[in-house]
Amino acid sequence: MTAGSPALPPRHGLEERLRSLTLARGITVWSLLRVIAALAATLIIFAILLQLLGSDFGTAFNAVIDSAFGNSFNIGQTLMTASLLIATGLAAAIPFRAQLWNVGGEGQMWFGAFCTIGIALNLPKGLAPGLSVAILVIASMVAGAVWGLVPGILKATINANEVITSLMMTFIAIELGNWAIDGIWPQGASNETMSVPANTLMPNIWSGTLVTWGLPLALIAAIVAWAVMSRTKLGFEIRAVGLNPQTARMNGMSVGKVAIVTFALGGAFAGLAGSIFILGINGALPAGFPLNNFGYLGIAVALVARLSPLWIIPSAVLFAGLRVGSDGLQASTGLSTTVGQILVALFVILLLAFRLIRFSYPEVASR
Amino acid sequence: MSPVQTLFSLGIALMVPMLFAALGELIIEKAGVLNVGIEGVMLIGAFSAAVGVNYGNGSIWIGLLIAIGSGIVCGIILALLYVRLGTDQIVTGIMFNILAFGLTTTLAVKYVHASQSSQFPDWDIPGLHSIPGIGDVLFSQDVLVYASIVIAALVWYLTRQTWFGLYSRAVSEYPRAAESAGLNVWRLRYVAVILGCVLTAVGGAELFANSGGFVAGYTNGRGFIALAIVVLARWNAFYVVAAALLFGVAQALQFEADKLGFLGDVPSHVLIALPYILVLVAVVFARGSRYPAAVGIPFRPTRSST
Repeated sequence: MTAGSPALPPRHGLEERLRSLTLARGITVWSLLRVIAALAATLIIFAILLQLLGSDFGTAFNAVIDSAFGNSFNIGQTLMTASLLIATGLAAAIPFRAQLWNVGGEGQMWFGAFCTIGIALNLPKGLAPGLSVAILVIASMVAGAVWGLVPGILKATINANEVITSLMMTFIAIELGNWAIDGIWPQGASNETMSVPANTLMPNIWSGTLVTWGLPLALIAAIVAWAVMSRTKLGFEIRAVGLNPQTARMNGMSVGKVAIVTFALGGAFAGLAGSIFILGINGALPAGFPLNNFGYLGIAVALVARLSPLWIIPSAVLFAGLRVGSDGLQASTGLSTTVGQILVALFVILLLAFRLIRFSYPEVASR
Repeated sequence: MSPVQTLFSLGIALMVPMLFAALGELIIEKAGVLNVGIEGVMLIGAFSAAVGVNYGNGSIWIGLLIAIGSGIVCGIILALLYVRLGTDQIVTGIMFNILAFGLTTTLAVKYVHASQSSQFPDWDIPGLHSIPGIGDVLFSQDVLVYASIVIAALVWYLTRQTWFGLYSRAVSEYPRAAESAGLNVWRLRYVAVILGCVLTAVGGAELFANSGGFVAGYTNGRGFIALAIVVLARWNAFYVVAAALLFGVAQALQFEADKLGFLGDVPSHVLIALPYILVLVAVVFARGSRYPAAVGIPFRPTRSST
């Protein structure tokens, strides 16, 4: 400020006071109010939509809660869906931390699932169940990483827009999946691939439900991702590149290397989701599965968790509840199961609109 | 028509939805905004056209009108988010696509009858359509095909020859300087986003008309291909036509391959995936193509001191 210019008058508005009120570290009353406003706006818009569709909010709410958390079996279904969303959430969160937009988690998950089935059908029959599952999970993660490496390498070498390339890889992977269903490993007349052999399935860990080893695997993945991001040099480099690529480069970090590594890591987590789906949930690749958009919903999960690996766990459970709840909604009201995706997308868009999810940008400099 | 002629005739028809979307995206990117929500806008355009046809006694023109209306609504919503609220454009766009997919799939159950379809009328250009060899291919298309070419020329004119194009360029390369020269960055971006979304939604309407019905998630990446077309065409509306035609023909291959002897043995899934593979190849070839500097970065106006 130059000498002689008048000092700005202190502001005493309600907004300013709310902004300065702090509840806990990093959480102000103001931000809490915005969360409530975003939630309220989401629910109001959604209630109006339900009216349009000839249903009402109370019935829908009860149906969702009941089928997502009503009994232990339903809770199990929600947790297994959450394990998929944890993995796809990590697939988005890690590259996003470096401001690299891996929006191809969907395709990386599909390619992982594709390879899981292909290898599972060709493994030697006598293999111990634990060993075969381990081989398949690792293979699926490698496959996802390979699928993620394509946009990562194109970004690092020729600065190709990773949004376009990772989305194209997604459509290619989905088509590979369709080919698997009706051409490579078809299962008679049914609309899915052959089922994988019983010795490759993940064992159940909670009797009375369909919860398998997929859930602890996803939790371990989240903890590993947290450790990498906050306790290693690599994690530091990823965050530094995200904050300011120029500064990171001047400090001797390679932005290209970070692009390749984050896309490979993200792809590996998405590949994990693919193997959990095949070995821990469904046993085969069904047609029409892309309608679930688990890969894209992972982006929403990651954003609501503010890209923090451990917060992804509750965020995934919340969205999984909505997803499973939508099935119940379909049963009781005849609405399409995609209704849950409206709610998720609406919520995240409003969080963005209320500036609860924000990214920093460098100012465009003159060249 | 010979198989090759059919291939190109079909390719031109399939080009049109992507061409409209790419022209819309060009206008938006030239104003410094990246609309990743293009796929969702296209899907909503196709859905709105289906609803319009459904409630308009099968008239595709009513469908087109509703699609244009939906484009305006999408444009206003996205402009508010991208420009006024300054949300991250990539993330917002992806979420908008999920929203569009969920909305159209859910609402289609109630408001769209799968059997209801309608097409834009064909128009044989007198004289030209009887040119042997190319007449049937180029000059015997539906009216929106011709319209798309005219609009491509208009977009070229708009972005290259008018004050709007000039100001857009300033706003997309260095908005701070444009602001200090007295331009209203936000207002220009509002106009560009809404205009671009209208064109994208028209592309969706043509997609619906071509396909004879609305299917969940029908756009299948066409909007994202349009994103790549704009990069490949280096933000030149005429090159956009050429690039869109390339992808239109690539999409047509899956329907005509069995009649083109040399492609008969290629599995159909490879042909369906061909346009997406082609995008990756195109991205490598277009590696010198550089986005306008401010694309994707929200702009905050400086508060005036008075």
